[in-house]
Amino acid sequence: MIHGDPIIARIRESRPLSPTLKRLVLEPADGAPLPPAAPGAHVTLRLKSAGRAWNNAYSLVSEPGRRDRYEIIVRRVHASRGGSAHIHDTLAPGDLIDLSAPINLFPPAASARRHLLIGGGVGVTPLMSFPPLLRALRAPFELHQVCSAAERGVFEALLSPHGPDVHIHVGRGAIDLPGILERQPLGTHVFVCGPEALMEAVTGAAAAAGWPASSVHQESFAAASGAPFTAVLARSGRRIAVAGNQSLLEALEAAGVDAPSLCRGGACGECMIGVLDGAPDHRDHYLSGPERAGGALIMTCVSRARTPALVLDL
Amino acid sequence: MSKSRPTYQPLKPDPTGRRHLLVIEGPPAAPGDREGFDETWVAAPGSPVSAAVAMRAFPTVQALHEALEARLSGETMGFRLYAEGSEAFVWDVFRRAQDAGMGRAEVFLRHVGAPVRRVYCVHCGTLNEGVAVNLVECQGCRASLGVRDHFSRRLSAFLGVQADAETPGVLPAAEAFAG
Repeated sequence: MIHGDPIIARIRESRPLSPTLKRLVLEPADGAPLPPAAPGAHVTLRLKSAGRAWNNAYSLVSEPGRRDRYEIIVRRVHASRGGSAHIHDTLAPGDLIDLSAPINLFPPAASARRHLLIGGGVGVTPLMSFPPLLRALRAPFELHQVCSAAERGVFEALLSPHGPDVHIHVGRGAIDLPGILERQPLGTHVFVCGPEALMEAVTGAAAAAGWPASSVHQESFAAASGAPFTAVLARSGRRIAVAGNQSLLEALEAAGVDAPSLCRGGACGECMIGVLDGAPDHRDHYLSGPERAGGALIMTCVSRARTPALVLDL
Repeated sequence: MSKSRPTYQPLKPDPTGRRHLLVIEGPPAAPGDREGFDETWVAAPGSPVSAAVAMRAFPTVQALHEALEARLSGETMGFRLYAEGSEAFVWDVFRRAQDAGMGRAEVFLRHVGAPVRRVYCVHCGTLNEGVAVNLVECQGCRASLGVRDHFSRRLSAFLGVQADAETPGVLPAAEAFAG
């Protein structure tokens, strides 16, 4: 389930930024003001096509607080669950789509003296709404974007308006993460969003430099695809097939199960369900080490199974 | 005991930190107690200023605070600060650490010594140092203050409120602080 009534939005603009990136401008279908969104917020698009449904979360890159439009950037992901391809190939200006009200699980840190923002590829989108706020507050920040050579121009154009403290690095080898983390003054908080390997590199370098965990923030919108498996609902005995290109949460939703969810990125813990049998393949950022090892809990939005079946406490 | 009343643990270096500075009010303890700290600074009244890196002595608490402020302004992430001494001293250190941007996960405090309190008079704002009992005459306005168990981390002090406000001259019995 998604919290609250959906907002019906009309696609006002769908503009390619690169062969795989599209910027969508969404406006309220009824013209009423949209709920205000704070920096770091995302919305969940409810997409439907030919019998399939997706609930995909995208960060808002529009100016924070703007109520006449939401803007998102969508990467077309090959061999994924198919929602992004639907957005790229099928949706056109004028189409109506349902979306959730904005949810913010990745806000700037009020107590931070300095924000160190590190993005990887299109993962930079939740960070794009930070600089306007930080500049207005005269709060120091620096933004580092890691991307491919082909997309350097795209991200330069998107990020350079945020001022001189924006640095673009082509390839992860081009960024000196230990050096950047070691020289930050007291009171700095780091925010990273991007591919799993980049987030691990940043959190690892931060820990090696002695950063407390409470000053390190990450958000992922990882695809949850993998080997197919079967979810067994213990209370009803129902067996639900989870396809390889579908998340466990999506399979539950498609079967009409009222499963909890919020961030859909393995960060918030809302979708946690008890596991009674089978071994989860944990891909979230929420459970602690001992909880992972225990295997009694799963985040349905990103995690999968290492056994052919998982028996869920549902 | 009120929830605002801090509790303290023995100090040991936080394994997640990279550089560890321990500041102590009063005479230094045995060296064996200080293993794992990169530096120890001590405010020992009357001691000469020493420039040794590992063990630095300051003639006054104020001199230590000034050196600490200078140090914190140039420090980087990975630094951990530890303070040991009277409750007023360790929370004064905490406030300076906060002013420098440090969070609760980066500062560790331990109160040692006599259970005396710094008492903030809510009527005149005077800070009364070294109060050992729960009834004290304010140094500023001469009010008879009852010392509450409420501790202000911002002021590094317990709050003192006029004890005979209802009926002037009628005061509860004074009791020494237990700890």
